[in-house]
Amino acid sequence: MKNTFWKALGVLLLLYVFSMTLLVPLGPGLLEFQDKGKVQHSDIVGRSLPVYEVIGFGTHWDENSDSLGIFVKSKGQLAALEIFEITDETHALVGLDLPYSIPSKSWNVLVNHPIDGTLLLENALFLSDRFVDASIELPTPAVQEFGSNLPFHFPYQPQIVETIRNLMLHVPLWFTMFLLMGIGFVASIGQLSNNRNMEADMRAFASVRVGMWFGVLGLATGSFWARFTWGAWWVDDPQLNGALVTVLVYAGYLVLRNAVDDERLRARLAAVYNLFAFVILVILLMVLPRFSESLHPGKGGNPGFNSYDLDDALRMVFYPAVIGWMLLGTWMYLLTLRMTRINRKLDLLP
Amino acid sequence: MTSLLLEAHPLEGLFFGSGKAYVVLAVAAIILIGLGFWMWRAEARLKSMEKELKSTKNNTSS
Amino acid sequence: MPNNAWTQFRFLTTHAFRVEFRQKHGIAGLFLFALASVYACYQVAGGRASAEIWNALAWVVLMFSAFNAVAKPWAEDSPELRSYLKTTLRPGIWILARMAYYVLIMSLLALLVFFAFALFLGTEHLGGSRSWSFLLGLEFTAVAFASLLTLLSAISSRAGAGFSLTAVLGLPLIIPIILISTRYGSEILSGVIFGDTAHHLLFLAGLTGGIATLGYILFPYLWRD
Repeated sequence: MKNTFWKALGVLLLLYVFSMTLLVPLGPGLLEFQDKGKVQHSDIVGRSLPVYEVIGFGTHWDENSDSLGIFVKSKGQLAALEIFEITDETHALVGLDLPYSIPSKSWNVLVNHPIDGTLLLENALFLSDRFVDASIELPTPAVQEFGSNLPFHFPYQPQIVETIRNLMLHVPLWFTMFLLMGIGFVASIGQLSNNRNMEADMRAFASVRVGMWFGVLGLATGSFWARFTWGAWWVDDPQLNGALVTVLVYAGYLVLRNAVDDERLRARLAAVYNLFAFVILVILLMVLPRFSESLHPGKGGNPGFNSYDLDDALRMVFYPAVIGWMLLGTWMYLLTLRMTRINRKLDLLP
Repeated sequence: MTSLLLEAHPLEGLFFGSGKAYVVLAVAAIILIGLGFWMWRAEARLKSMEKELKSTKNNTSS
Repeated sequence: MPNNAWTQFRFLTTHAFRVEFRQKHGIAGLFLFALASVYACYQVAGGRASAEIWNALAWVVLMFSAFNAVAKPWAEDSPELRSYLKTTLRPGIWILARMAYYVLIMSLLALLVFFAFALFLGTEHLGGSRSWSFLLGLEFTAVAFASLLTLLSAISSRAGAGFSLTAVLGLPLIIPIILISTRYGSEILSGVIFGDTAHHLLFLAGLTGGIATLGYILFPYLWRD
C-alpha cells in the first residue's frame, strides 16, 4: 500500500499540473504604445495633441471605462494622458500632453484600471525632439489607483506571454534529470569503493538511462520554447550549449558501457566516466551559465524572466510539477533497475 | 508576433476560444494515465519474473 | 625507484618520451598531419580567408591534430616493465606524467599550426601583439585538449576500444572548449584588447586544472586490474 501510494501521488500531481497549466488564464498586460503620426484637437486643454494608441493584452477597458487611467512616467514624475477613444477592450487612443521641456526622453507607460490593476510597459515612449531639463517639475495629476480584481491567473510576461505554461514542463524535466544523474553519481562512488558487488553499477546504469530521457525531453521542450520566444529552434546560448553537451556526454556513457565486455572492468570504467560526466554536468549547467551571464548581461534576450520571478500562481503549479515529475522519474528508475537486475540474472543463468 | 496576438481575440480568444486547450489537456491526461497504468502493469510483470527467476535458481542449485 | 612524487613524475614523463620516440614515425606523423591539414585549409580558403574563416580553420585544425596526437592508443610497455612500474609507482603520478607528455607535444603542435597558418594563410589578420595573444590562446587550448583527451584515452585504452571510443567520448567534451577558444580567437582577431578577453583563458586554465585533478583522483581506479 505504502509502495503504491507515492506512485499514484506522482501521477495525480501531474494530472493536476497539466489541468492547471492548460486551463488557468493569463493575466492582462500591455503589448504596445504606438505613435499614430497624427494630432487631434482636445476639448479639455483646447490644443491639438499627438495621438498614440495603447494596445493591451487581455485587458478589460470596455468595462468601467470611466475609471481607466493612462499615464506616462519617468524619473518619478507622472503625467496623465488624455483618452480620446476606447476602441475595444484592448485598444485605446490617447493624446500626449507634455511640455516642450521634459525631465527625460524615455518614458514608461502605466495603465490603471479597476479590473486589471496597474499595468506597466517599460521604455515604451521615446521623445527625441524635446528639450531635456532634469530640474523640471511636472504638475502631479490626481490619481485614483485601483488594485487588480481578477480571477486566478498566470502573470503576463513580455515576449513569453502564453508560453509561460512551458515552465511547468521544461524546468521540472531538467530538475528530474539532475536528480537522476545525482543518483547515478552516488551509485558510481559506491561502485568504485566496492567493485565486487554489481548492485551499484546497475543503479548507475538505470539512473543514467532514465535520466537521458528526461534530458532529451528537456532539450525538446526548451527548443519549442526558444522557437516561440527567441524566434529560432536553437540559439547560441551558454545554457543551451551546456545542455546539449551534457546529454551527449551521457550518451557517451552508454556507448562506453557497450564497448566493454568484462562485467567488472565495465563497472569500474563506467563509474569513473560517470563521475567525470556529473562534474561536467554541474559545471556546464549550473556554474558556467551563471559565470557567462554575469559577463554578458542580457544574454539570451529574455528580459521579463531573468530570475525566474515566480509569482504565487506559478508557484502553486510549479512546485507540484517538480515533485510530480521527480516521483515519476524515480518510479521509472526503480522499474529500470529491476529490469536490469533481471537481465543480469538471466545472463548469469547456465 | 504582436500582430499575431492582436488578430486573435485576447485572453479567452487566443488560448481558449478555439477549444484546442481542452483537446490538448485530454490528450495529455490520457497519455499520463496510460503511462501510469503501463508502468503499474510493468511492475506486476517484473514481480512475477523475479519470482520465477528465484524459483528457477532454487531448482538449478538443488 | 624513490618514493618521492616529483622524482617519479620526472621519471615517468621522460619514460613516456622514450617510449613514444622509440617509433620516430609516430611523432613525425603527427607533425606531418598538422602541416597537411593546414595546407588543405590553404587550398580550400587560399590567401583570401576572412578573419572569421582564418579563426575557425585554425581551431578546427588544432582540434583534429589533438585527436590525432592524443586519442590513439597508448604505446604500451612490455608486460614485465608494466607490472614493475605498477608495484613501485603511484598511479596518480602516472596519469599526470602522461598529461605532461601530451601537453608538451600539443604545445609544439600548436606552435607548428600557428606558424604554418601564418605562412600559408597570411598574417594580415594578425597585427602586432594580436599574434602573441592568439598564439597564447592556441597554447592554452592545446593544454586543455591534451589533459582532457589523455584522461579519455586512458579510459578507452583500458576498455580496449582505441581511437573510435575516444572520439565518441571526447567530441562532446571538446565542444565547450572549442566554443570558448573560438570566441576568444574571434575577439582577438576583431581587435578586442587582450585584457578584455583574458577571462576566456582563465576559464580554460581552470578547466585544465579541474580535469587534471579529476584524473589524479580517478586514475587509480582505472589502473587496477
